[in-house]
This record gives sequence, structure tokens and C-alpha cells, in this order.
Amino acid sequence: MLLFRSEEHVRNWYRRQGMSLGAILTLEQQWELARIWYADRMSPDWRRRTPEEAEAVFGGLGLTGDFWRLTPAPG
Amino acid sequence: MNADETTDTDVRLEVYRFFAERGRPPVPAEVAENLGTVQSVVEASLRRLADDHVLVLAPGTPYIWMANPLSALPTPYKVEIAGRAWFGNCIWDALGVVAMFGGDGTVKTWCPDCGRRLHAEVADNHVVSGHGVVHFAVPAAQWWDDIGFN
Repeated sequence: MLLFRSEEHVRNWYRRQGMSLGAILTLEQQWELARIWYADRMSPDWRRRTPEEAEAVFGGLGLTGDFWRLTPAPG
Repeated sequence: MNADETTDTDVRLEVYRFFAERGRPPVPAEVAENLGTVQSVVEASLRRLADDHVLVLAPGTPYIWMANPLSALPTPYKVEIAGRAWFGNCIWDALGVVAMFGGDGTVKTWCPDCGRRLHAEVADNHVVSGHGVVHFAVPAAQWWDDIGFN
């Protein structure tokens, strides 16, 4: 997960690498994801999230769709 | 909680405590010394923690490469907090270091495309300066296929 100056810089870099684009987050979205994900990592009670719990974190930040899916697709 | 789970919790907490205090991860002998146990018990615990994706060992060794969000190796994601510095594994993890240590700090990096310096400053759990966008190259389900790349 890399921080770029702008979406234009993302597109330039991935074109040069010959790689396809993935997903783009704002810095604020990334901070919220980092805060929710890691704030309790040094707690004795911390445990890894289940795929369902992780998807719920992503969904709460508007990160939905196949790219963010960790559980089998419905149907 | 069974005996292995209790050991794994103790080892995990000691790894993070040591990493926070010293700026580098402990080797198994240091964890064993500090927990009053033997190195083989710590190494077995570290392997279980790695299998559970709690941390990442350097390939073929019992040495800690990543205790996410912290990186044992310098990376382009330097985290500065109250005059001290650590490295995150990526921008997510670098901001995670700030979050894990209380929500005040600055991440310094460079745009991979143009090389311009970028930063993100967080104060009281809010981004207060910095700009840029974050790109995730790999879908969530594949993040642990090559955690070094991610």
C-alpha cells in the first residue's frame, strides 16, 4: 500500500510498471483504517479479526465490492 | 486459553513492548530472557504467531521481519513520534504505528512516481496535514500471498 502525490501519479507509475490499477483511498480513509486496525494491537485482549469482521471494517469506510471481499461471494 | 495460547500472548506482548522501547524487534533469546523461559519455547511460539499472520519472520529464520505494523528493516515509510522513529511496512502500517502509539505522529515518505517528499501528520487521532492518495495494488483476499510485496 503506497502513498502517491495524486491519482495522476498513481496512474503514471502503474502504467510504467505494466501493472493494472487496484483501489484508491483518500489519506483520511487510510488513517481511519489504520486507526481501527492497529490501535489495540498492543492490548492483551487483541485477537485477529475474522474475515467477516474485517469486511465489516472495510464496509464501514465505504470499501465494498469484490476487491475488499474476504468471504465467499453470496449466491 | 490453553498453554500455547497463553505463551503466544506473552510472547506477542513482549515483542511489541521491546520493539516500542528499543526501536527494533527482539531476538528469541531476548524474549526468553525477559519472560523467564527458554529459547526453544519462544521460537515455537514465534512460528505459531507467524502461521497465524500476527507477525512475519525473515525467511528461513526465527528472526522477526515484521511485527505489523512495525518493520525491522528500514522502509520508505518512516514514522516519527515525540523525537523517536520507527518504520512501517507500508503507508497503512506506518499510520498504524501512529495509531498504536497513541494517535500523534508524522509519517514521512516519497511519491513512488515522482520522488517528491510526502508526509502525513496526525494529531489527537486526526490527520492535520499532508496530502496524497493511497493505492492498494492487490485485492484483500490476496494480501498474505506475498506480504513482503504488499
